[in-house]
Amino acid sequence: MSTTVAQDRYAAEKQKFQELFDQTEAANQQPAHPLDEYRQRAMALVGTLDFPTRRWEEYKYTSVNRILQPDYAIGQVQGVDAADIKTYLPEGMDAHLIVFVNGQLSEALSQFAELPAGMHVMLLRDAMDSDRFGSIAREQLDNILKDQDDIFVALNAAFSQHSLFLYSEKNVVCEKPVYILHLSTNAETPILNSHMNIAVAETGSEFAYIEGQFEKPGATGTYFNNIYNRVTVGANAHIHHYCLQQEGADGFVINRVDAEQDRDSQFSNYTVDLGGRIVRNNLNTVHKGSNLTTNYYGVYFGKEQQHIDNHTFIDHAVPHCQSNELYKGIVTDSARGVFNGKVMVRKDAQKTNAFQQSSSLVLSNKAEMDSKPQLEIFADDVKCSHGATIGQLDESSVFYLRSRGLNDRQARAMLQHAFIAEVLEYFKHEQVRDFAEMLINQKFEQ
Amino acid sequence: MLTVKDLKVAVEDKTILNGINLEVKPGEVHAIMGPNGSGKSTFANVIAGREDYEVESGSVLYKGEDLLEMEVDERALAGIFMAFQYPVEIPGVSTSNFLKSIVNANREARGLEEMNAMQMLKYIREKIELVGMDEKFLRRSLNEGFSGGEKKRSEMLQMALLEPSLAILDETDSGLDIDALRIVSEAVNKLRTQDRSFIIVTHYQRLLNYIEPDFVHVLYKGRIVKSGDKSLALELEDKGYDWIKEEVDAVAV
Ligand SMILES: Nc1ncnc2c1ncn2[C@@H]1O[C@H](COP(=O)(O)OP(=O)(O)OP(=O)(O)O)[C@@H](O)[C@H]1O
Ligand SMILES: [Mg+2]
Repeated sequence: MSTTVAQDRYAAEKQKFQELFDQTEAANQQPAHPLDEYRQRAMALVGTLDFPTRRWEEYKYTSVNRILQPDYAIGQVQGVDAADIKTYLPEGMDAHLIVFVNGQLSEALSQFAELPAGMHVMLLRDAMDSDRFGSIAREQLDNILKDQDDIFVALNAAFSQHSLFLYSEKNVVCEKPVYILHLSTNAETPILNSHMNIAVAETGSEFAYIEGQFEKPGATGTYFNNIYNRVTVGANAHIHHYCLQQEGADGFVINRVDAEQDRDSQFSNYTVDLGGRIVRNNLNTVHKGSNLTTNYYGVYFGKEQQHIDNHTFIDHAVPHCQSNELYKGIVTDSARGVFNGKVMVRKDAQKTNAFQQSSSLVLSNKAEMDSKPQLEIFADDVKCSHGATIGQLDESSVFYLRSRGLNDRQARAMLQHAFIAEVLEYFKHEQVRDFAEMLINQKFEQ
Repeated sequence: MLTVKDLKVAVEDKTILNGINLEVKPGEVHAIMGPNGSGKSTFANVIAGREDYEVESGSVLYKGEDLLEMEVDERALAGIFMAFQYPVEIPGVSTSNFLKSIVNANREARGLEEMNAMQMLKYIREKIELVGMDEKFLRRSLNEGFSGGEKKRSEMLQMALLEPSLAILDETDSGLDIDALRIVSEAVNKLRTQDRSFIIVTHYQRLLNYIEPDFVHVLYKGRIVKSGDKSLALELEDKGYDWIKEEVDAVAV
């Protein structure tokens, strides 16, 4: 075959995913479950959608080509001891821990904590089976598949066998965070890890969940974490969602979050991207009620060939809502950073208060940063501000620190650290903040 | 301690220091005065190791070593401390972390063990009292939003913590009210020892009532045009710089 038309750019890659799906289905020994039907529908949807190319405005700076090339297989739990696990957890944190190794749930490594009555964490398939949550779970899945135009979400839904369902009942405040750990260990073949979380907070409730994505130190291997989060924050409720990512040099990450907020609610996303070869975050929030707050706090640090792309979207559709968006990052060596922050303020969204800031340090000639704020404002009585700075370290500050006896490396590390630390101050959970800081420090030491 | 010989320094092809000679012995306090723009800060910065300046000729020996060959951090670790006229504000760097880092970096260079958190806290508290600072500054970002006087005290605190051999104070007294001035001078006086030398750049004789210099030098157009003892400072306070300028400019013509 010598010719391909533009739309079929990734026809062969799509075919490989189809084959992997068929193989997995054939090998599936589990009794049939209603979730399977959704997964099959999702796979059919994959067939009708296209993988993005750089001709797409939203993928102008990020090519998924490299992500799609490997011949992926489904992973297995291997290469981890229970003793290893704690190095991936915030120190001293009492969390409800769910561990996935190479995309597979490991109940043996998980540590289920006692959660307050009214806080539920379970497999999506179990939620579907239950009288209590069955209809909610199905409705969420239906919504995900309905009019879905993102092939990665469809792919995720097709392959995600152990999707999680997190649910807080009305007025339940859960202090203990839920920690979902994804660990990649050595694998001979490239691994596809598809994981979905459906998080729902009913009126007046609050909880936090943390997604940790790590490669075991010393491991090598190619893998693709295709993660999807569906977040529904009820009236006056608050969900904190942390994404801490330190994948390996051949790890690919696509992380999409679709949040929907009701009135007086808060949704806070905190993202730390330190690893991975290509990382693409799609963070979207839609406002369904007034007087709510959306917070996006992001930190990234790219070295060598890393490519880290934060795509954010906040849809201000109703009046009196607030959004705060602060991203700070460092790129050095040949690394590349992308920030695209879209804020839509619809005609009815009067008295909107939208703040957006993206700042980056570009520390080498070959490193690159593309920052694109995109404000679309159709209401007239709003306060919107955005800023994007791309710069280097302030040399007079470097000099000052060195004049006190710190060497050049120490002085620069201190300033880079300070640059990023501003974002960490917004992290609500102190133990997560300290943990993130520790991971960032490790990256400085590398 | 410090021997400066015929030092000529330029910035962007403009000669600013035009042959400075100065000998500072251990334990001595030298005051450098002079009109605005005469090159006082430039001199101080060159000794501290700022790289924006081009040394055209001359030499600087510090404890017998070629100072101009040393990096700025090497100089600091070798015991040179500069209190800046305009300390930079560094958002995000907490003052306490910064102080801990610099104390331990200097201790390491002197072959001393790092201080643990308890020892450090005690040590910093002791020096904070010496310079009359409020402990709450420790929690703030370094120099960020500090008033002029607070910045100067923060410089004095760093000096007290690092116990340098040679301290250069560039207009540390400018902008201080009389109480603050007294506290800063007291701090300097307490740090005065037989081995520790000071170069104090100032516009005001007032400071020299509190810190008695061994020598006073007048810098003008990049040269030390007059040296004397503390009575020279009093004379300058009285008569201003015009008579010196006239003397020098007359010779130059
Ligand atoms: N980085 C620089 N670039 C250009 N010119 C400079 C630079 N630094 C100093 N100069 C010039 O060199 C001269 C001496 O400046 P310097 O700051 O050393 O004077 P000073 O004696 O400390 O003055 P003041 O009493 O106002 O502090 C001035 O004319 C100044 O403009
Ligand atoms: Mg000056």
